[in-house]
Amino acid sequence: MYKWMRSESFTAWAFMAPGLLVVAVFVFWPIIYGIPLSFTDYSVISETHYVGVDNFVNAFKDHNFIISLWNSLLYVIVVPIIQILSILMAILVNGKIPGVKFFRTAYYIPVVTSMVAVALIWSWLLSNNGVVNFLLIKVGIISDQVSWLATSNTALFVLMFITMWKGLGYYMMLYLAGLQGIPSDLYEAARVDGASRLRLILNITIPLLRPHILFCTLISLMGAIRVFDEVYILTKGGPGTSTLTSSVYIFQKGLEQFNFGYASALGLIVSVIIAVFSVLVFRFNRKGGVNPY
Amino acid sequence: MIANRGMKQVKTGVRLTIVYVLLVALALFMMGPFLWLLSVSLMPGKNVFANPPAILPTFIDFDNYVKVWQFMNFPKYIYNTVVITVLGVVTNVVLSSLTAYPLATFRFKGRDLVFTLLVATMIIPSSTAMIVHYLTIQSLHLTGSFLGVVLPSAVSVFNIFLMRQTFLGIPSDVRDSGKMDGASEFRIWLQLILPLVKPAIAVISLLEMMAFWNNFLWPIVVLDDPQKYPLAAALTFLNGQFSYNFGWIAAGTMISVLPIIIVFLFTQRYYMEGMAGAIKG
Repeated sequence: MYKWMRSESFTAWAFMAPGLLVVAVFVFWPIIYGIPLSFTDYSVISETHYVGVDNFVNAFKDHNFIISLWNSLLYVIVVPIIQILSILMAILVNGKIPGVKFFRTAYYIPVVTSMVAVALIWSWLLSNNGVVNFLLIKVGIISDQVSWLATSNTALFVLMFITMWKGLGYYMMLYLAGLQGIPSDLYEAARVDGASRLRLILNITIPLLRPHILFCTLISLMGAIRVFDEVYILTKGGPGTSTLTSSVYIFQKGLEQFNFGYASALGLIVSVIIAVFSVLVFRFNRKGGVNPY
Repeated sequence: MIANRGMKQVKTGVRLTIVYVLLVALALFMMGPFLWLLSVSLMPGKNVFANPPAILPTFIDFDNYVKVWQFMNFPKYIYNTVVITVLGVVTNVVLSSLTAYPLATFRFKGRDLVFTLLVATMIIPSSTAMIVHYLTIQSLHLTGSFLGVVLPSAVSVFNIFLMRQTFLGIPSDVRDSGKMDGASEFRIWLQLILPLVKPAIAVISLLEMMAFWNNFLWPIVVLDDPQKYPLAAALTFLNGQFSYNFGWIAAGTMISVLPIIIVFLFTQRYYMEGMAGAIKG
């Protein structure tokens, strides 16, 4: 054996080589290759040309793309709702009361099931003669059946609801991990001082959960802007363009119409928007926008 | 004093009742749809849009399961799903623990650079990834193969992080003692280090198992032959095939969902711990 082969450096690279190769090809390469691709008219069918910034110019003239961007941004409404509800859920299941483990598990079931199954169930529940309409009419919230997923005013919000329903358990678990890391003497000390329950939550729980809130907000934000599965399975962007999100539109342009160049350009624009959003969340959090101080 | 204590007990009693009412209501909200689907699947001939809706089955008959099993060639789809899932889990466990090990324990030139580059990929989103993946898989002549389905997610940066975080917690004595005995770095990794990180390996296995089991889009994109589809992909197909046979679709969906729920129920302890560990990392 050569001497250099026994060096720690060589061994390290030998260990990492297979993994880094996969990362290079399937993580780095798409980021790098997407850029030149977006300046071409690459499609599988015809010859490829360099088209300059045409794709980007067309993108901003493309009415459907603008609508899809708007819908993706609108989808972000679901992020704070998920965070607030899942923090409350985490507080609810944090207590040491009998049977609480069962409830934690129950809330997590939607997370582990496939979106295909979840979408199917909700599409039945939400259809004209479905359970949701039945219950809402019974309670008196609505008087006539609503086709939730086929009405342009409601479809996007219904999809958000499904995203929320499937994701709550996931975020609850992450927040629960955070809650259990908070030393209990902090609460006891505050309680001795006569602080109310709400005060405890606002002044101890929320500030100490900040790293978790940052983490969860970021992943949920990226998920919301890039939302695809539920939209693609349930509405494919319809009715009309009312639920067309940017990921669905990019998928249609790229892998259904094989307009790879244009789809890459759209993807690049969305990537920049997500990057800006991530930076904003970091900034906002550092300045303490999330906690009451 | 006594009255005061009594008051306190009543107060805790009331609070506990409220907590349980909330817990049960939430459980109905989260589990209700599944219970309803289960009950639809167990009642052949029962309309999904029955009025009032059936949350609990009034009779139990496995006819839907038998029929849809015969119709859809489930063994084939289950086989596809299992092959894809096992392949995905194994590659992720092996590749992430191989890659993360030197990042956590070795000293070498370029370590920080590799690490920074990996962090960067987690922040930079890549919406076009699927398109480029498709082109890559095509140029590797892997379209239509299970390897083509698995390869793009054969290792995730997140998993490398998780493993690195775990390896960092192992005292350096372990590696030193192995070296003292003259073992190679690979043997130290395989026989001394890996047995110590079993919980982390369990977490990655579970996370990836769910991801691969539930994945439907990429398999549809890569696999040209629907006979090769995994369950989740085949289900979208099933919906289109007989859109009015609700009982069958419900039974088919239950069959696809149950294995993953059962695995989750038996392994949830590891999983929850791992989730907690992941966010600290």
